Amino acid sequence: VCVAGYGQSGGNEILLLLPPPTLQAKETQGLCPERDFKVECGGFSNRPVYSLKHVPDTSLLVTSGPPDSSLQVWQVSAEDSDVIKAVSAIPTENGTGQPWAKIATISAKAPWVLHGSRLNSVQVTEVESRKNVYTAASRNSEELSGLAFLDCNTLLLCCAKGQLCLADLRQPRSPLEAASVPSAPCGERWCMGVGRGPQGSDSSSQPVARLSSGGLLTLTDVRKTSESLASAKCRVPPPGSGAEFLCVSWAPALEGCLAVSGFDGTVHVYDARSWDSSGREAEPVFIHKGHAFGGAGSSGDPPLVTAHTWHPQKPRTLLSAASDGSLHVWDWVQSCGNC
Amino acid sequence: MPEIKVTPLGAGQDVGRSCILVSIAGKNVMLDCGMHMGYNDDRRFPDFSYITQNGRLTDFLDCVIISHFHLDHCGALPYFSEMVGYDGPIYMTHPTKAICPILLEDYRKITVDKKGETNFFTSQMIKDCMKKVVAVHLHQTVQVDEELEIKAYYAGHVLGAAMFQIKAGCESVVYTGDYNMTPDRHLGAAWIDKCRPDLLISESTYATTIRDSKRCRERDFLKKVHETVERGGKVLIPVFALGRAQELCILLETFWERMNLKAPIYFSTGLTEKANHYYKLFITWTNQKIRKTFVQRNMFEFKHIKAFDRAFADNPGPMVVFATPGMLHAGQSLQIFRKWAGNEKNMVIMPGYCVQGTVGHKILSGQRKLEMEGRQILEVKMQVEYMSFSAHADAKGIMQLIRQAEPRNVLLVHGEAKKMEFLKQKIEQEFHVNCYMPANGETTTIFTNPSIPVDISLGLLKRETAIGLLPDVKKPKLMHGTLIMKDNSFRLVSPEQALKELGLAEHQLRFTCRVHIQDPRKEHETVLRVYNHLKGVLKDYSVQHLPDGSITVESILIQATAHSEDQGTKVLLVSWTYQDEELGSYLTSLLKKGLPQST
Repeated sequence: VCVAGYGQSGGNEILLLLPPPTLQAKETQGLCPERDFKVECGGFSNRPVYSLKHVPDTSLLVTSGPPDSSLQVWQVSAEDSDVIKAVSAIPTENGTGQPWAKIATISAKAPWVLHGSRLNSVQVTEVESRKNVYTAASRNSEELSGLAFLDCNTLLLCCAKGQLCLADLRQPRSPLEAASVPSAPCGERWCMGVGRGPQGSDSSSQPVARLSSGGLLTLTDVRKTSESLASAKCRVPPPGSGAEFLCVSWAPALEGCLAVSGFDGTVHVYDARSWDSSGREAEPVFIHKGHAFGGAGSSGDPPLVTAHTWHPQKPRTLLSAASDGSLHVWDWVQSCGNC
Repeated sequence: MPEIKVTPLGAGQDVGRSCILVSIAGKNVMLDCGMHMGYNDDRRFPDFSYITQNGRLTDFLDCVIISHFHLDHCGALPYFSEMVGYDGPIYMTHPTKAICPILLEDYRKITVDKKGETNFFTSQMIKDCMKKVVAVHLHQTVQVDEELEIKAYYAGHVLGAAMFQIKAGCESVVYTGDYNMTPDRHLGAAWIDKCRPDLLISESTYATTIRDSKRCRERDFLKKVHETVERGGKVLIPVFALGRAQELCILLETFWERMNLKAPIYFSTGLTEKANHYYKLFITWTNQKIRKTFVQRNMFEFKHIKAFDRAFADNPGPMVVFATPGMLHAGQSLQIFRKWAGNEKNMVIMPGYCVQGTVGHKILSGQRKLEMEGRQILEVKMQVEYMSFSAHADAKGIMQLIRQAEPRNVLLVHGEAKKMEFLKQKIEQEFHVNCYMPANGETTTIFTNPSIPVDISLGLLKRETAIGLLPDVKKPKLMHGTLIMKDNSFRLVSPEQALKELGLAEHQLRFTCRVHIQDPRKEHETVLRVYNHLKGVLKDYSVQHLPDGSITVESILIQATAHSEDQGTKVLLVSWTYQDEELGSYLTSLLKKGLPQST
């Protein structure tokens, strides 16, 4: 598990944590002598780390964060040291003053990183050589909230205002088309979650989920982005300051389930199989409230969940991090009566 | 440069044989004297031959300090003092002194009686060793000798565990032993003041771990116990009389109360008596809550936990039993284990490390068929669980302690160097101190910058402050004086006083410089020219023209004579004492520039 700090005043750490054996194995074990997380390696970043991605099949990490849209590349775990070293930076043209870049990685033909902060600055760069592989052709300077590789040739981009764009790496000249969220209220910020099926499968088989800062969740088929398949409303408080921590993700091993966080100190899990297009309020399958009860009492603001992710193998296990520096690994028990 | 030398003793990078040699200001101190529980041969003891190849250890070492009663910190003490030979003082806290011999004797019994070893210390040796022990209180400064003093601080971890500050002259070292920065149910958290030692020595065994929350750990333990009891099974928890047992008892009592559970919990009587005795004796060593409640009721008189009777082991139905000894190697816990092992509804939870050769160690390694006395085979069908509630500091704890003590240097022992690079950088970056990580047997030298106090004589202080403008409190002021070392003290005094005190004669230094100037006139006219020139330039100084033809500027003398070979050149003799060096040099360079034409 990789975690990083996003403090503005520098001295942020990037830590590679090894979970205890109980969290690695498939079956739930009893009491294990080793219950602690081990710090495998650590590194220091001057910038706040807003996004952190591992480049598959390599020992590299890519991070991004203010004050510009450039990326930092890190080397993890050399044999003789436990320090995560910064190896290079991927600059972006006219990058200064731009919002921080969103990133996605893939290692199909070579280790690539997809990055950009606006529609007109989307690129795919080869991580090790820093060579540019693809640049999106767009005049649109809409701010991005997320991007993803659907497969080694197809990109999916999500704008902060909610529009989805598809792009094909084999056709760099064709301009991107943005499809808005059908019947979406104005003024809300959106983010997306893309399903990740088993390696090699067609990722477009699972719908894309989009989450708005007002708590609206819509599911869209990538092949037909102008329509929504289903939508629902989460029972969440309106976000205070911004929507910067909004996060929605599909469960890799639990069909139809997705998790939502970023509104407060909780993480909600929903079963989207029962949703229709009415957009009415959905009942979460489970709410993790641990972060709200965590730490140091009533000093300061209540913690806000900053990120969450699913355990790749254990179906009902998630990891979530919050603004008070806590990291939780949790699961829930399906109540009797459900299948 | 004054230096502190630190050498962790023993071979290899293994954990669990704490023994550190420190040389500070000419004093030699041994910190802890632990045994490695995993070895059966000489490797279990530290390598004492490093200290001195020949010559008695007592002559070389000024004292030995033991941090707490765990065998990996005191296990080699009787061997060291009685078999290798050391007669000097051994310091430890009162609880440690009381409990150490019990653990040592227990361990001796297993090693000699059960495993049949011969080259091991005897019961008498343990007794003789403890006679050399001097017990100390928390925060009490103990003078080991005229120059060496030590002080113990609360370390948490186990009853009586302490961190020690060792001071010699102006240099100091703090050794942490094992400590815990978070309080638990029966002990408080470690604490130290801002003593700013030159060096902080800390164990780093758990430095790369991030502990999961105590709540999760406890909840899992309670869940397992609860599940077993709910299905009618019996739970055996082998414990040592002191240590985690109290923690777990308090935990279970609270849980039983909250959940309104009815299954009985027992602990063996040996346990109660000993625990009660020591906790009463050393009540100040427990945490706030226990101290508060102890007055009203004995913390170890539980509502749900009762004294055990051998016969209860055969009772049907669920129960939980705490029994000694902790490694299932003999006694009551082993007896109970044999009765319950055959039933898969039952569970045994091992709460700590088990030495090789014990039943505890065997079942934790996965053995399910054990050979007992009389070649009887015991089949273990009961569930075997291991759970460590040991309280050690992790990386966060180490950082907290450094923040509290503010050492100038940090030294970490018992970690693997290449796995500690990140922590080293973290410490260096956050605290701007050097962080060292020697391997066992490797000596680290830390250079210190001790402050040497110097007294300044009042006369000198008054004289120096009188010169020049009023001192600005923010600006440093340059002072001149003489440093004398007399009667073991340093004093800054005026040179005259220094000479007087040391009975030395003062020598006067006088400089004379010749300056050639071109002037064809007569000598006395040249002198007049020089006089007028200097009077005009040096308005703040007393410039006089004496009747004998010489000029004085303050106490500097200037005389003019004609050059022996060239009448057109006059030679000015400028003469000054060492004290007037500055003015003398200035005058010389001024005159070398020549005289203005107008005079």
